[in-house]
Amino acid sequence: MGLLSSGQDLSRGATGHLVLGLDVALGNRWTSSGAQIKTLNGIAGLDFSLILEFQSYMARLKLVSGGSRKKIIRAAKRRVGPLTTAPPLAPGAPTDFDLMKGIQAGDPDALSQLYDRYNGILKALILRVIHNEAEADDLLQEIFMEIWNQAKNFSPQKGKPLGWMVTLARRRAIDGLRKKQAYARAEERLQNETEQQPDAWVHNATEDEIILSDTRVLIRKVINSLPPAQQQAIDLAFFRGMSQREIAAKTNTPLGTVKTRLELGLKKIYDGLKDLRDEL
Amino acid sequence: MNFEQFQNQSRLYVIGALEPEEIEEFEKARQKFGKKAEDFIAKCYALHEAFALSLRPAKSSDAIKERLMAMVKAKKET
Repeated sequence: MGLLSSGQDLSRGATGHLVLGLDVALGNRWTSSGAQIKTLNGIAGLDFSLILEFQSYMARLKLVSGGSRKKIIRAAKRRVGPLTTAPPLAPGAPTDFDLMKGIQAGDPDALSQLYDRYNGILKALILRVIHNEAEADDLLQEIFMEIWNQAKNFSPQKGKPLGWMVTLARRRAIDGLRKKQAYARAEERLQNETEQQPDAWVHNATEDEIILSDTRVLIRKVINSLPPAQQQAIDLAFFRGMSQREIAAKTNTPLGTVKTRLELGLKKIYDGLKDLRDEL
Repeated sequence: MNFEQFQNQSRLYVIGALEPEEIEEFEKARQKFGKKAEDFIAKCYALHEAFALSLRPAKSSDAIKERLMAMVKAKKET
């Protein structure tokens, strides 16, 4: 399935920072100009040597074509793997699909290995949604338990194990956030009724939610090429699980505009990924 | 709905951003386009992975894994 899923090396290698892959995708037409390097440089997780290597790679890419170009891309793709935060697969190590088969067969060791491979990514995703360390840990445990219980529903024909896990984790995290928000709203009503300590607790909770975390900065940089309004719409939809109407209300924007922003932003990201997939 | 419109809707669908009134029309188009539609939707889930993988991995407590594996073991034994 292309950049994000075509080869085990990249799909596994991408587990830490697909930032690079995504930027490669988005920057498929980049030259090695300073401005582009500056863009890369702003992305956490990329050191300067990698940037220089990438610069060199892009420069070489411009000078060749056809088979040689593909070879260079493949070579770059191989280099991407070890630069990610997840350890590369050791020779003979089971693939994600192998581990899912193991879990489906009731092998706890397969779950243990899958946990070691992806708990950091899933925890980051959960944390990005609910912004609470202790709750994120609890949810992470529940999600892996659900992976164990629901593994029979995973089908390789429908996608990769990581995609399935991310979808599951995001859904659970957003459910958790909604419950938390519902609780916060109930608390707010109670406080208004009793007129005690007006909105202090709820107000603080809301402020916490809007603080820009490192993670948020990171995702903003990944989709740096999008206009801010599109980035905001996607962020609210994906990480907050907001509907178009909720986004429109929150941003005081016409519904049609929100829809357009989401469609254009997602298409640009999707096409960026697709360009590289076709290239590879 | 033509296929290009369906593609736009699919990207919204996978991140759960379709409005209820759009879902009905989307599902009709999904049926109309059949396998082509399913293949495209599957590809759209790459967006999920991309967004998740763009996050800096977070460290979780070692106790979480211990608890998880204990629960799995207990469940397996029952």
